[in-house]
Amino acid sequence: MQLSIRRAAVGIALVSTLGFALAGCGSTPSTSSTSNGPIALQETGSTLLYPLFNIWVPVYTKSHKNVTITTQGSGSGTGITDAGNGTVQIGASDAYLAPGSPAGLLNIPLAISAQQIMYNVTGLNSQHLNLSGKVLAEMYTGKITNWNDPQIAALNPGVQLPNLKVVPIHRADGSGDTFLFSQYLSFSSPAIWGASNFATSVSWPSVQGSLSATGNGGMVDTLAQIPGGVAYIGISYLNKATQKGLGYAAIQNKAGNFVLPTQANILAEAQGKVSQTPKNEAISLIYGDGANAYPIINYEYAIVSDKQSSTQIAAAIRTFLDWAVTSGNAQNYLQQVHFLPLPSAVAKLSQDQIAEIK
Amino acid sequence: MIATSGREHHLAERVRKGAAGDHAGGALGALRGSGRLRLGDMLLKVITGAIAAGAIGAMLLILVFLLRDSWPSIMYNGWHFVTTITWNIGNLYSGGVTHRNGATAALGAAFGILPFIEGTVLSSLIAVVLAIPLAVALALLLVEYLPTRIGETLSFIVEMLAGIPSVVLGLWGLAVLIPWIGHSFGPFLLRWLGWIPFFRGPVGSGQGLLASGLILAVMIIPIIAASTRDVLRQTPRETKDGALALGLTKWEVIRAVSLPWASSGIFGAVVLGLGRALGETMAVLMVSGSAANYLPQNIYSPIGTMAATIVSQLDSAMTDPTGMAVHALAEVALVLFIISVIVNVPARLLLSAAARRGGPETQ
Repeated sequence: MQLSIRRAAVGIALVSTLGFALAGCGSTPSTSSTSNGPIALQETGSTLLYPLFNIWVPVYTKSHKNVTITTQGSGSGTGITDAGNGTVQIGASDAYLAPGSPAGLLNIPLAISAQQIMYNVTGLNSQHLNLSGKVLAEMYTGKITNWNDPQIAALNPGVQLPNLKVVPIHRADGSGDTFLFSQYLSFSSPAIWGASNFATSVSWPSVQGSLSATGNGGMVDTLAQIPGGVAYIGISYLNKATQKGLGYAAIQNKAGNFVLPTQANILAEAQGKVSQTPKNEAISLIYGDGANAYPIINYEYAIVSDKQSSTQIAAAIRTFLDWAVTSGNAQNYLQQVHFLPLPSAVAKLSQDQIAEIK
Repeated sequence: MIATSGREHHLAERVRKGAAGDHAGGALGALRGSGRLRLGDMLLKVITGAIAAGAIGAMLLILVFLLRDSWPSIMYNGWHFVTTITWNIGNLYSGGVTHRNGATAALGAAFGILPFIEGTVLSSLIAVVLAIPLAVALALLLVEYLPTRIGETLSFIVEMLAGIPSVVLGLWGLAVLIPWIGHSFGPFLLRWLGWIPFFRGPVGSGQGLLASGLILAVMIIPIIAASTRDVLRQTPRETKDGALALGLTKWEVIRAVSLPWASSGIFGAVVLGLGRALGETMAVLMVSGSAANYLPQNIYSPIGTMAATIVSQLDSAMTDPTGMAVHALAEVALVLFIISVIVNVPARLLLSAAARRGGPETQ
């Protein structure tokens, strides 16, 4: 007994030493704001935008030697919060800011992204099933439970649909993809899904057998394991998912046509929204007009406070973001992650907002 | 110490006192008069006292901060927080808000954590039920059956197992355990135990209550086994030898002497394991299926636990401009804290009572 007490004492001593050591690490000062020397910027947020930042930063810092930029994929919510409280200079988010967000926060589009609806239906993965917002909303609310449902058959004349249980799969973590998908359901079938039932995490209806997965990678892996599954997955994972033999749907747009997430269709959707984009650029690109418009696309946002701790830091952020929406929007960077460049009118609006960072 | 007889104890005390006296009388004798020793004693007392008070203070501070952070949520949700099943941070983009009891949340926000409480408790209970027989058997094997050298090596390995980071176990669960449950073990259970209501139902992907319980069991078996082994080792040699001399078989000695003697210690070990299981986050997050809004219907159902939900929902919660979603997560932490205290305090009281009772009996 005494031995174990002594052991416990040693353990406590070790733990407290470790605790102090960790506390020491935590209090290390980060960015210095007064010197004229190298400027360190920090970025955190959206995991969808994270790969693009990792493509941009090495190229940018090569030509801008006095700036270092650290990147981190931590989720859109963290990006918005950390940019708001000054923990980082640049937050990344797939979703624009909600009304009532702290004043002085800017959401600045950097590129255009899209999302595809994928499924694992034996024998049909190599062709593109037609799906509508209404059918998807009924799948995710448990009203359509089988792939041979008459509503799915009506959208896909001539296709032999199997008797297979529908397994709706959604994201377990907070996600810009959940935001986009729930917004598409909300706009295309408000009667079933609810008119403004969208967020980075929504209250999923309880559907017997429905599943959840973490990250786009987790969605792909889970869908590949579950026959009858249906899932929403970010465009940058399209190649990985099709390599696993999964199918993706042609989605019904506002004009009533069934369209695939091709570059042309994504651009068609974006073009329809350019003139509507307000000065603060907080706008949904979901379910727009246009015969060929692909209905689930979005601006990828940088979330930046308009008041930075020093003029040097503000200038460094302005220069970097300006580069991102101009040179950084070149195809050779964006196509690696299947993003599309901002239309020039939107890039101009972004530059106006960037100029407000002081 | 409980094991030694009264006389032995007395003797040991005298020897120790004698040694201390010699020591002080010799090398340190000169220092005594100068008062430096007393100063050192005092200093040690103050420093250790401050550190110990710091530990208790930290505990209280955590409680105070949890209460402060969750207060708006307590006001907004009331008892519905622990009795309802819907978790909905509300329509953040509608621009509207809901006011209730002076607290503000996004339009339509509702926070009910009953599914998370059930998921936490059920997965931990499954883990404990699975772990107790295995861990005790393992400890008996190490102490009673294996030759010392092999036993020591195995003990070392068991202690290493207890130190595996939970994220590693979670990854193993995701890559190995889940497909196995989904394709083999789940259907097997369904076939042979399907007549029990809780074992009936679609097996699904393998993520869920069963996977969480299994991974938690793997995690707490080494903890329970290592503590049980320590207790079993302290079974008084004389009593065991006496029992053997009376003609009892090895199994009878274990049953009549070792296990009863160690029972309170084993109970303590199980509580330690349960505490770990209730609070385990990462591994469970990776295999539970992160369910919300419904209670587990069977052993294959996806679940969410309180600890895992705090992690998986925090990012979205931080986008809530009213801040209510984060307050609600703080209240989840508060409830988890309270449950841990409820589990630990009575268990430890029982444990010390058992130790007091057990003392004279074993002499």
